[in-house]
Amino acid sequence: MSDINQPLTKIKLLNPTYPNKATGLINGESSGLLNWNDIAYPQMYDLYQTLLANFWKAQEINMQDDIKQWDYLTETEKDIFLRINTQLASLDSLQTPTMTHVMDYVTDSSFKAIFAVIAQQEAVHNESYSYILSSLVPLREQNQRFDQAKEDPIVRKRNQLILDSYESFRENPTPQRLFELAINSINLEGIYFYAGFAFFYHLARQQKMLKTSTMISYIQRDEMQHAYFVSQFVRILLTENPELNTEENIQFVYNTIDQAVQLEKEWADYILKDIEGIDLEEFHGYVEYLANKRFRQIGLDNYYPERENPMQWIHVFSDEMMNETKSDFFEQKSRTYTKVSSSNGFDEL
Amino acid sequence: MKAAIIYTSVTGNTSALAEIIQEKMEVKGLAADLIPADEFQKIHLNEYDIVAVGTYSWDNGEIPLEMEEIYEAFESANVKGLTTGVFGTGDSFYPYYCGAVDLFRDMLYVHTNLAVTLKVELTPQEEDLARCEKFCDRLLSEVAVFS
Ligand SMILES: Cc1cc2nc3c(=O)[nH]c(=O)nc-3n(C[C@H](O)[C@H](O)[C@H](O)COP(=O)(O)O)c2cc1C
Repeated sequence: MSDINQPLTKIKLLNPTYPNKATGLINGESSGLLNWNDIAYPQMYDLYQTLLANFWKAQEINMQDDIKQWDYLTETEKDIFLRINTQLASLDSLQTPTMTHVMDYVTDSSFKAIFAVIAQQEAVHNESYSYILSSLVPLREQNQRFDQAKEDPIVRKRNQLILDSYESFRENPTPQRLFELAINSINLEGIYFYAGFAFFYHLARQQKMLKTSTMISYIQRDEMQHAYFVSQFVRILLTENPELNTEENIQFVYNTIDQAVQLEKEWADYILKDIEGIDLEEFHGYVEYLANKRFRQIGLDNYYPERENPMQWIHVFSDEMMNETKSDFFEQKSRTYTKVSSSNGFDEL
Repeated sequence: MKAAIIYTSVTGNTSALAEIIQEKMEVKGLAADLIPADEFQKIHLNEYDIVAVGTYSWDNGEIPLEMEEIYEAFESANVKGLTTGVFGTGDSFYPYYCGAVDLFRDMLYVHTNLAVTLKVELTPQEEDLARCEKFCDRLLSEVAVFS
């Protein structure tokens, strides 16, 4: 059994005497060579391929329509748009270096590869916020907006929770802190983005700034898959290292995600208060619904009352809607059957 | 009467649902075979009176790769008289929530006696138990009527 407070050693690039198929996520033996056909968790290959199939870049999306519409947004909408944009960009900026940092301590090469892909995608997200900004406002204003994000006390308070955990892993990379980092990363990718997403999808509902929300949709899809991966990572970490799978750590998950939920509500109350058509009470319920999903993804029970998704319009656009022309990695089978429903004599529960 | 539950699951949500359904059936006096997709080769659909198919969804609401063979088996076998149900887990943030359940539904409706479908968001919770119960009831009553 490993000590959960014993620092993980930064692993060597190659360990020729060890097997290619890692013996553990952390503290395992692994040659450092990656053969995808011989990995400890074969489902990771599917996930890796799916992540790669998501590939997109900001420049593929033509901002002309949004540039025209920008002038018709109200001053309040413009202000909130820019604040949310820079706030989301700041969050994504943290993810790229953190994911690459984690790679140094994870002994399974297939997981390392996936962390590398995630880091790359976060870099694309980061760029897409810059791309949106550059289409809409001059550099001077962009910089002012980033300063605003850096100084905003509510933004700082929210980020602090994540930063403390990421920094403490930097200082002392123990298994315990890696676990904590993973939970905080779920908060960042799985909770903290959603007030922002709500705003952009709300504009989209009114047919406003659709190019921006297309990008947001790509980002959300990536983030959902990152949260799925990190949840898997957490589950495997706890299974392989039962000494991490303690009452206190489960409580840690509940407390930390709950803190993020409260901070997201607070942020929404502040940033979305002047937006007509987004009911803040409803959004609070939404954040709890969202957090329940995160708990279930890591195999825990709901923490908040069970409820239906109260804001069903916050979701990824379909491929068709995003005009996706790239063919999917998995062969798309054409389906020959007509859609049927309960009116055809069966029950839909 | 013979029943099978054929399912696939990566992170355990759909397998949890499959197990609940199996338990509920057992309570109702029917011992169903629980068959993971990779053991499907070992069985014949025709041996059964009831088959429940369980799948998660992937990739723009698609059927996972490992379920394709099972999908095709229903198309090619003569299973007109077979009573079927399809259940699945998914995530409603994706554009096609439980899309794989819908795809199976449309196919099973044509090739079998489809009785019921069930969708659950991620891990089944307390309130889903009653829906699982209904799912089983519906399958059982259908067989009673149909055969
Ligand atoms: C890459 C990826 C794509 C997904 N696509 C969909 C989808 O299109 N529709 C849906 O309802 N759920 C989708 N999901 C969510 C899964 O179906 C959901 O997590 C499911 O509960 C997993 O089941 P399992 O635990 O049995 O593996 C997707 C998940 C991932 C990681």
